[in-house]
Amino acid sequence: MWNCSEQAVVGSSREGFEVRKVLIVDDSVSMRQMVGFTLKEGGFEVLEAEHGQDALDKLQGTSVDLVITDLNMPVMDGITLITNLRKQPAMKNKPILMLTTEGLASKKEEGKAAGATGWIVKPFDPEKLLLTVAKVLP
Amino acid sequence: MNQETANGTEPSAAASDPSPVTEPGVEAELSRYLPILAKMSEQLKQTSAQIEDSVVEVCNSFQGMAERARATVSKATGFLGEGDGTPGKKSFEELVENTGATLVKIMNTTAESGEISRRAVESMQQIDNAAQQISAALSLLEELAKQNKMLALNARIEAAHAGSQGAGFEVVAIEVASQTQRSREVTGKVGGLVEDLRNLANATLIDLRRINERDAERVEASQKEANESLRDLRTAHQEMKAMLTGITADGALLAKDIGSAVRGMQFQDRVSQRIGHVVDELETLHARLVARFGSVHINLAADEGFRAYTMREEREAAGVHEAESPGGDVELF
Repeated sequence: MWNCSEQAVVGSSREGFEVRKVLIVDDSVSMRQMVGFTLKEGGFEVLEAEHGQDALDKLQGTSVDLVITDLNMPVMDGITLITNLRKQPAMKNKPILMLTTEGLASKKEEGKAAGATGWIVKPFDPEKLLLTVAKVLP
Repeated sequence: MNQETANGTEPSAAASDPSPVTEPGVEAELSRYLPILAKMSEQLKQTSAQIEDSVVEVCNSFQGMAERARATVSKATGFLGEGDGTPGKKSFEELVENTGATLVKIMNTTAESGEISRRAVESMQQIDNAAQQISAALSLLEELAKQNKMLALNARIEAAHAGSQGAGFEVVAIEVASQTQRSREVTGKVGGLVEDLRNLANATLIDLRRINERDAERVEASQKEANESLRDLRTAHQEMKAMLTGITADGALLAKDIGSAVRGMQFQDRVSQRIGHVVDELETLHARLVARFGSVHINLAADEGFRAYTMREEREAAGVHEAESPGGDVELF
């Protein structure tokens, strides 16, 4: 439904295409809802986790094409999550995007060093989010 | 949470050992706010949770709107262009084309019938012409028969004059007269049959001409109706396509609006974070004050500030408990 000019349906939910799976990690229910809504409209299948540890647990039994994570979360923050994910062979080369209100350059460097593919500062623009996702997905 | 910071940690050494407060009046004033701080923290948390619930609800509604808009566009597109995917079910465009083709076939068939009818009229006219020629030929034969009869009569007269020598000749003359008579009878019979044939052909010709004229009128009327129906169908199709374009454009606008709304609603995430930070500070402050002054109990229900609270959630957070009717009740006085 979004007017995504580069790729109308980036998740490819159309017949004959495999639907891409995205894990959204955020302690805010509403943020998960909004990101999930945007991605579903883009044709993606969406999984949700409340924090880093919840994400690691959910990835035990399944694989995803992309992870979008918040930075500050209880139990396990986004940087720690990325560090853990990059140690897993299945997630070593998968794109991981940070989606956070934090915009400090030092924090971005920290995320990059941990293995983040990109950094999006909230509030996000749905159309731009889909374009970014289309760019980072192989 | 009263004895802990927002991170769940114990108050720091600095918190348990605050700077000495020397003014007794200040101490009393600070201790007055001690229980209020905890209540304020609770209220802020509740407020943050309520905002989040509302945003989630709004987001759900947007999702429903987007799904319905997409379904409407998809249905309309399928109906007009590609069908709705049901096996064997045709789209409106196909229906228009098929109906047009069927109407053209019917018109062609009707026109063919008219052509056959016209050819039948021509054939009947040819039959009538042929019958006329037969009648003319029969008249000629009748004339020849008359002449033969006269000839036979003269031959008999001449045979009588010849006497016995003309006896054989008379036999021949009698026979010729007899054959001529039989020939006239056959000619008369055939003439009658030809007359019947001509009458029948004329009657058939009249009927065929009537049918032909009626068919021509019907074909013309049918063609006119079919053309009008086709034109109406095509107009309706164009209008529906234009409507669909409008719906699709509206869907795109709706998506844009929802995108703006989703972006706007993210204020809640930032507000929640800020409230969370304020709550952390309030709880730290509370922990420090408790460490400094110990527990202080005051009657919050009597506090002027808390008395001003009008919502049940506010009163509950403040610990002001009074009997009240549940939300949604209507009471007439």
